[in-house]
Amino acid sequence: MIQLRGVSKQFGARWAVRDLDLSVPRGEIFGLLGHNGAGKSTAIGMMLGQVWPTTGELRICGHDITRDRAKALQRVGAIFETPVFYDYLSGWKNLQILSHYTAPTPPERIQKIVEWVGLTGREHDKVSKYSHGMRTRLALAQALLPDPELLILDEPSDGLDPEGIHEMRLTIQRLQKELSLTILLSSHLLNEVEQLCTRIAVLNQGKKVFEGTLADAKQTKHWVRLRVGDFARATASLQSEKLITDTRNGSLVALADGVKTDSLVRRLVALDIPVFEVAQEEETLESFYLNLMQDSRAAKPTTLDSRPSTSA
Amino acid sequence: MFFLQLRSELAKLFGKKRTYIGFGAFLLSQNVMLLAFRYSNWQKGTARLLEGNGYVATEFISTLTVAVLMLIPQILLLMPLYVMLVGGDLVAKEAEDGTLRMILSRPISRFRLLFTKWLTGVIFAAILVVSLGAMAVFFAGCWFEWKGMFIFIPIPGGQTIFNVMSAGEGLKYYALAHVILAVNACTMLSLAFMFSCFNMKPAAATILALSFLFLSVVMEGMPFFEDWKEFAITHHFRAWVLVFAKPMPLAQIAEALCVLAGVNVTAFVIGATHFHMRDIKS
Repeated sequence: MIQLRGVSKQFGARWAVRDLDLSVPRGEIFGLLGHNGAGKSTAIGMMLGQVWPTTGELRICGHDITRDRAKALQRVGAIFETPVFYDYLSGWKNLQILSHYTAPTPPERIQKIVEWVGLTGREHDKVSKYSHGMRTRLALAQALLPDPELLILDEPSDGLDPEGIHEMRLTIQRLQKELSLTILLSSHLLNEVEQLCTRIAVLNQGKKVFEGTLADAKQTKHWVRLRVGDFARATASLQSEKLITDTRNGSLVALADGVKTDSLVRRLVALDIPVFEVAQEEETLESFYLNLMQDSRAAKPTTLDSRPSTSA
Repeated sequence: MFFLQLRSELAKLFGKKRTYIGFGAFLLSQNVMLLAFRYSNWQKGTARLLEGNGYVATEFISTLTVAVLMLIPQILLLMPLYVMLVGGDLVAKEAEDGTLRMILSRPISRFRLLFTKWLTGVIFAAILVVSLGAMAVFFAGCWFEWKGMFIFIPIPGGQTIFNVMSAGEGLKYYALAHVILAVNACTMLSLAFMFSCFNMKPAAATILALSFLFLSVVMEGMPFFEDWKEFAITHHFRAWVLVFAKPMPLAQIAEALCVLAGVNVTAFVIGATHFHMRDIKS
């Protein structure tokens, strides 16, 4: 549904997106992660034909977005952070107006969507009277009007309270389950991405630093919590024995391939280093993401480039 | 599909309260001017002018005469302001509010969107001019009788339009003058619309367009630019006055209309070209 090949965008001297390859197959909920200014919104802007790419090729629903925008966006819906509407008009009128930019939409279709998003009874009220949650529902309704195959959600939970975030999460799950939509979700909320997405890509300073499944993200390294008498001596020895590959935060070690915790313990006992705790540390998306960013900030391009990158 | 989109743009424009500011301002100013004409020396001066030229003043101080007198200051001051206020809003306000990004996530081409918006603005400008003319006749009709029409409009540069005509003939020319005034209003709107297509605030687009007009007026009034006055857009805006001249200078009016049509097209093309190349971001 989404194919980006070598896409870059330069604003003045700054590269907002650099050499981005991305592939989102049909039926997937794909998460786009990255801090503010990482290039997520620019990438989404390019996918929707709002931002012109400096280089590269973007295909949406099989059509080149820069050359065949109308066909590419025919069955695409989008929601942006902080939904904005014509506040002086009713929700219904807003939906009518926005639908006219895609295709003539019968009132029955609008009514059906209004019911689907749960705005029934309030659709003829002015949008200025809507709460933030209702605006988000209206944003979802306008995105669903063209009967989309692809839904692009740019931080849809932005500004919502915890209840609203939960509701949005359930709605996204419902969208995929009931309407079999392909969804691209850009979000800061790692918990949300973890619960919804099957695959993710992480952007940092305009570059993709990871793409793969959530399982890939969590299993890049097998971390073990190690509490010993002398951590520095222990890790130096374990590294020289090639039992571990990395250490973190003075308490975690990454096991080398094929190495089990019992080998570690045996070696430490042999060195007469007291062992107080050895436990498998489960990698969360949050810890994975934070480490990825930490590595990136440490300006170790080779480390970043050598990270597993599963392009579909 | 195009008409649905045009209807949507019209619904957006006429759904906003600020769209009606111009209509309200005209309503108010016309009545103030009407009172001023009726109860000040303005009416006496007009009567003296008529009588000095051998006409019976009571026959020509009429609905149409007063309507045209009321129109002049409004056309010079209020019309550019309110038309450009709306023109400056057309694209820049949507970009500022963020609704433009939502529209452009749909399969409508930028050119088509702009053309629909521009056409909406043109319809607004035409409605504003027609309302202005109709209101002027209506309110003047409440106070003055429906009789012959008298025109006395001095034009900068020495020429003066002086004419008297029957009510029927006067109404015909009055209507024709409004067609040309509508073209003027469209041109003003197109200028503001052009600036609105650039990455700027709506107020900045309006101010830039007004500055452009102001500059044109100033340059046109300077003796140094006498030979270049055809290049001043405001020079061509006066074609509406020429409708009342005897004989009517058709070639001059046609020339002015062609220039204004050219300015409209140029402004649209510049705006559309820049808008097409622009990145629309939040």
